[in-house]
Parts: sequence; structure tokens; C-alpha cells
Amino acid sequence: MLMQIAEPGQSTIKEACKQRVVGIDLGTTNSLVAHVADASPTVLGEDPIVPSVVYYGGHVEVGRAAAAHALEEPRQTLASVKRLIGRGLRDVEGVRAMLPYELEGDDRAVKIKLAGRAVSPVEVSAEILKELKARAERELGGPIEGVVITVPAYFDDAQRQATRDAGRLAGLEVMRLMAEPTAAAVAYGLDKGSKGTYAVFDLGGGTFDVSILKLVEGVFEVKATGGDSALGGDDLDRAIARVKFPALVGSGDPRDMARAVGLARQLKEALTEHDPATASNGADEITLTRAELRDIAQPLLDRCGKACRRVLKDAELSRDDLDGVILVGGSTRSPIVRDYVREVFGKEPLCDLDPDQVVALGAAVQADVLAGGQQKVVLLDVVPLSLGIEMMGGVVEKLIHRNTTIPAGAAQTFTTYADNQTGFDVHVLQGERETVEACRSLARFTLKGVPPMIAGMGRVEITFLVDADGLLRVTAKELTTGHEASIEVKPSYGLTDEEVERMLIESFEHAEDDLAARNLRIERVEAERILAATKQAFVTDAALLTADVRAAGEAAMRALETAMAGNDYLKIRGAIEALDLATKPFAQLRMNRAIDAELRGRTLDEVEADVAHGDAARHAQHAGTQRSE
Amino acid sequence: MAVERASSSDAFGLLGLPAQFDLDPQVIERAFYDRSKDLHPDRFANAPAAERVVALSQSRALNDAYKTLKNPVKRAEYLLAQAGVTIGPNEKLDPAFLMEILELREELAEARVANKLPEVSRLQRTMAERRKAAVAKLQPLFDHHDLPAIKDQLILLRYLDRYLEECDAALDEED
Repeated sequence: MLMQIAEPGQSTIKEACKQRVVGIDLGTTNSLVAHVADASPTVLGEDPIVPSVVYYGGHVEVGRAAAAHALEEPRQTLASVKRLIGRGLRDVEGVRAMLPYELEGDDRAVKIKLAGRAVSPVEVSAEILKELKARAERELGGPIEGVVITVPAYFDDAQRQATRDAGRLAGLEVMRLMAEPTAAAVAYGLDKGSKGTYAVFDLGGGTFDVSILKLVEGVFEVKATGGDSALGGDDLDRAIARVKFPALVGSGDPRDMARAVGLARQLKEALTEHDPATASNGADEITLTRAELRDIAQPLLDRCGKACRRVLKDAELSRDDLDGVILVGGSTRSPIVRDYVREVFGKEPLCDLDPDQVVALGAAVQADVLAGGQQKVVLLDVVPLSLGIEMMGGVVEKLIHRNTTIPAGAAQTFTTYADNQTGFDVHVLQGERETVEACRSLARFTLKGVPPMIAGMGRVEITFLVDADGLLRVTAKELTTGHEASIEVKPSYGLTDEEVERMLIESFEHAEDDLAARNLRIERVEAERILAATKQAFVTDAALLTADVRAAGEAAMRALETAMAGNDYLKIRGAIEALDLATKPFAQLRMNRAIDAELRGRTLDEVEADVAHGDAARHAQHAGTQRSE
Repeated sequence: MAVERASSSDAFGLLGLPAQFDLDPQVIERAFYDRSKDLHPDRFANAPAAERVVALSQSRALNDAYKTLKNPVKRAEYLLAQAGVTIGPNEKLDPAFLMEILELREELAEARVANKLPEVSRLQRTMAERRKAAVAKLQPLFDHHDLPAIKDQLILLRYLDRYLEECDAALDEED
């Protein structure tokens, strides 16, 4: 059992902020949402697995409905975007050729080209999150007030920030990003009462993580974490496709590629139960044996093995010190992966909990902890990649080393390198390599106002502070004058951590009315947009309207207008859905006619403006509340 | 270019442990977990902002203290510093040891250049054994409160650690 720590005077606060909080596993292939009810976490939805696929046609579809378009319209059906989130074009060269859709962008951020526009991986992920949010709100009967989203432990800062942005874009209050293997271990630690030192082997669709954790009463400590944020089951599918369906892979048609990868996955999954497995490429029956699969997979498994050895070393443990190995991620269902794990760790791996669900379950527990719920477990997580600054000559001086427990801090004093130097450039980097080029650039800033002195006399203290969220703040201070400059390595959508922190605190204080007001605002904006777009479409494409669809559509629009006048955002949302439904045949016709005018007419800029708008509304709300106090 | 580290409050005190070298790793870990339960920022997620800031900095100091004390070499250096003995960047070294470490490093550099990874691994294992023995010598020195001898031993350990880091770097290069 977990320790229950009683806090005098806290119970009323807890009652007051009885939250609807959830944990979300935003996976490369599949996503799930879970919630803690009566002290134990459960996944939400009859079919809890939502494929991480977003279809951009005349309107946006998510999940199984979206996946159904994959073969027909591979360029409009976006899967595996987690491999692109927070990445620049240079980072994704390896996967690029294998994706059915086209990319553009620069070395900081990729975008996906659609007919007539481009979307960022952040927006696509936000669509998936919105779907999960809607599902959770349906199941729990009210607005979601906070969420913990999981990310691969080995995600760097840019990938984490981008994931956080996606949450924000989906209208979610992201309380924490949590490492996936840590989440899995939490679920095991609580559900199975596992105690001791465990390795978590997490092979998902597009990422590989391995972590070593110690689970004791009330505390779960991550000893070390490692992995490869660009290695997963997808790579195996593609490797199989290259070997078994070379003609389809080589044809240059993205539909053929999508088919080849689909067939490869079928073969791989069938091998879990049978050996050999067969699939038809249209002309011939193609056979794959487990032995062949093992050969194809070997280079990928070797990369996993290397990360496993390194993480053991970082934890200063040998494999005999482990009490068990936990399997996470759909790819660990494969017998060849299980055999490999057994070989590397010399232990029979544990898979009592559903490897697809275990991450979402652990995230739900952490959400409950952060919301002051019943769970009282403290998670001690680590910095996955070293953090440092650029020195003269392009080398990196590490201030915080990988696998340092967070929150963490470090300070070092540096001296000026030129006579009469009046500024000090600080370039913040993340990674294990020694050169600037081989690390990821996180931020740059200049400390100005250094008094002119001879080289080596000016002293600047650089401080790195990482909070429990893993967010980094860097400060530079000139020691003779005390002059200071600092930077938050901050979300790219423009809010500083301080603002986020303040909003978070305030939202706890005014949780109910604040969130209701914000949701109302968001739904009204959405409703206005949809009404305008529908009215416009009814005029421009009047020829496609049947009398009864027109009548149904107009009735639904009137109902929506009535709902908008009220203050219940759930009613507005319901009316929006009703309008969508009523105009579906019409929308279908417009699509079929390949007009491809976007019904909602949303562009990236509008979405961003919308988010900014929502935040402005929230500020106004707070200002009002403070005045009244 | 790095000159000095920021000071922190007493590591032993933060963990509620006696300021001595002889500490069971399990006891240190237990103390760390117990203190983390009280101090971790997640326990203050709903507390007023001022309390959260305090929890954050205390928790940071606790993590730092644990990192220092769980590693015997760092623990020894910490105790030595508390006793007013510091180890500078250019400490004198026993000439025989200096010769030896130079030869060992040359051997490592050759293996590294020739990309003989098994050889690097072998050198690393040998050195790891030697380091272990060197760490084991610290306890009796602390028992006798022989600060100059502890200092010499820690200087030697710095060289051994640097050598091991080079082995790691060589093995990581294969990526």
C-alpha cells in the first residue's frame, strides 16, 4: 500500500478542487486516455485505442475514421507525426523517404504539405488530443481540468515543448509531461505492488526508451534513462517492406508504399501467433518466417541492446541487480523482441499489464497526484540528455549531466576571453556529444553591460535551473557589477513559463469558473466560425443541397444560435456536433465534387490567433476576478 | 575556463545523516527517499506560489546533496572540503604514478586511434578494478583522520576517473 500522508487543513482545499484530470498516452501509432476513479486507473472508452491518425479532407477526422482513408488518400492521411514533432528537416531525413506524405519547412521545424496548405506536427497532434479530450469529457461528464501527457523519456527539449504546445492548442491544461517508461513503471508499481529495481523496455511505433527505476514505498526513482527517439516498430515494418515488397516500395507512388508497409505490418503481426505468415501483394503470396524477421530486425535490435547496456552502466548496475524487466509498447508483443529482451537482461520479461494501456494508466495516476488526489507517490525523474553551454572553439561544457534527478541546478563561473569584452554570448545546448554541431541548440542570449576589463578578469556566473517539469531556465550574471540576464527555454507559442506558472496557479484558485468561462469562449468562437462557413457554403454550393438537407441544416443552425446565447458550453458543443451531422451529406457531396474548399476554412494562422485569443480571454477573466476580491 | 561551483548548504544535514565517510549506501538512499516524500515539488502542486518556490529550491538542494553523498569519492571530497582541505587544479603527483598513468593513457590513445574497441573495453575493466581498490583505501584513512593521505588518494582517484571517462568517450564514438 502507498503511504497516506495526512495534512491538517488541506482536506478542504482538496474537496474544493475535486478534479476531472486525465492521463494521455500520445503515441506514434495509437493514443489513449485514462482516468483515476476510486484509487485505481482505467482507460476511457469502449474501444480505448485511438489510432494516432488525422485525415485532412473537407473536414478533419481522427482515429479509426481517419485511418480508413490511408490507402486511398495517403497524402491527406497523417500517421506517425510523433516522429516529426519538435524536429527540423535535417533531423527527419532518415524517415522522410518512408512517409507517404510530403514535408517542407526548415532546420527548426517541419511542416506537412496538404492540398493547398501545410500543417505543423503540433497542429496534427493537437487534433488527436482534442479527440481524446472530447472522449474523456463524454465519459466523465464535464470539462477536463488538467492533463498529464506522456512523452518518450529520450525526447529532447524541443520535442517536449512542441508536445506541450499541442496540448495547449487542444485547449488542455498540461500539468506535466511525463516520461513513458516512468508512467509504465508507476502503473506496475501501483497495480502489481512491484517493489525493487526494474528495467522498462519500451518499444513503440516510432520511439525506443529504456529506463531503470527503483520502486519503494511511496517513492519511484528513475535511476537512469536512455533510448533512441527515432527507432520503433514502424522502422521494422519498413525494413520488412523493403525486403519483401521491393516492387511496391520502389514504384514511387505513395499509395504503393502505404500498401507495402501495411502488408509488412500484417506479416509481422501474424508472426506473433503463427510461423510462417503469409500475405498477398496482389500477384503472389509472400511468406515471412520468424527466422527471417529476426534477421531483418537484427540491426534495429542491436541499437536497442546498445541503449540497454548504456543505461545499466549509467545506473551503475549490472543486469543481475534487476528484479525484473517490464515490457511496454505494441512492438514488444512480437516474440522476436521478447526473445531479445530475455537475452539482453537474462530475465523473463513481465507483461501482465496490457503493454498498450500501461503508459496511459501511469499518466492518469500522476495526474491524480498533481491534482492532490488520493495517490501519494512521489516520482523522482531525471534529465534525459545533458545540458550545457558553448565554449570558445565550439565545444560544449556540460553543466547538468544526463540522468541527474530533477529538480536540479548547477552554477559555474566563466571568464571573459577578450580584452574590453562588453557582452557575453550564452548558447544553451542539449546532448551528449562534445561539439556544438552535434548537440541540439536550445536557446541563445547575450549578457550585455560587462564592464571593459582585460581578458580573463571579467567573471560571469551561469546558472542552470531545471524544475520538476524538466523545464530549463538559464541565468547569466556578471559578478563585479551584479548585472544579470536570463532566458527561459520556453514554449515556442510565446508564453513564458512564468505566465504559464501564474495561470496554472490561478486556474487552481479559480478552477471552476475560469475553465468554464474559457471553454464557453472557445465553443462560441468555434460556433461562430462554423455558422459563417456553413451559411457561406449553402450559398456558394446551393446546387448540391437537397431540400431536406437544407431544412435540417437550417434547423441545426438555429439551434446552435440559441445555444450560443446561453452560457452552457456543453450545449454549444452538442449543437455544433448536431450541425456537423445534419450537413454531412452536403459536405460529402462537396468533397466528391472535388471542390476541396475547406468547410471550416481554418488556416494555421487562424488556429494560432485562436489560441492567443483564448489566452487573452483568460487574462481578462483573471483581472476581473482580482478586482472583485 | 570553469573556475568554481556554487556552494550549497550542508549535504549531510539536508539528508539528516551524520557527517562521516562511513555510510551504508542503502541508508543514504533511504534518507533521500524519506526526505523527497516531504520536499518534492509535486507534493506542493496545489500550495501557494511562495511555498512552491521554497519546495523547489529545497528539493534541488536535496537532489544535489544526494548526488554528492551517494558517490564515495564525492563524499570524501566533500568531507575534506568541510575540514578546510581543498584540491586545486595543479596538485603535485607522485612521479612514479605520473609515469604510469601517462603510459596507460598512451596505450588507450593507441587503441582508440586504431579503433580497437575490445581493447578499450579491456583497459576500462582493468582500470575500474583498480579504482575500486583505490576507493576501498579511503575508509581506513578516514578512520585515522589522516587528511593529507586522504587528499593524495583523492588526487589519484581524479586521474583514474578521468581515464575512465576517456574510455567511455572512446566507446561512445562508435555511434
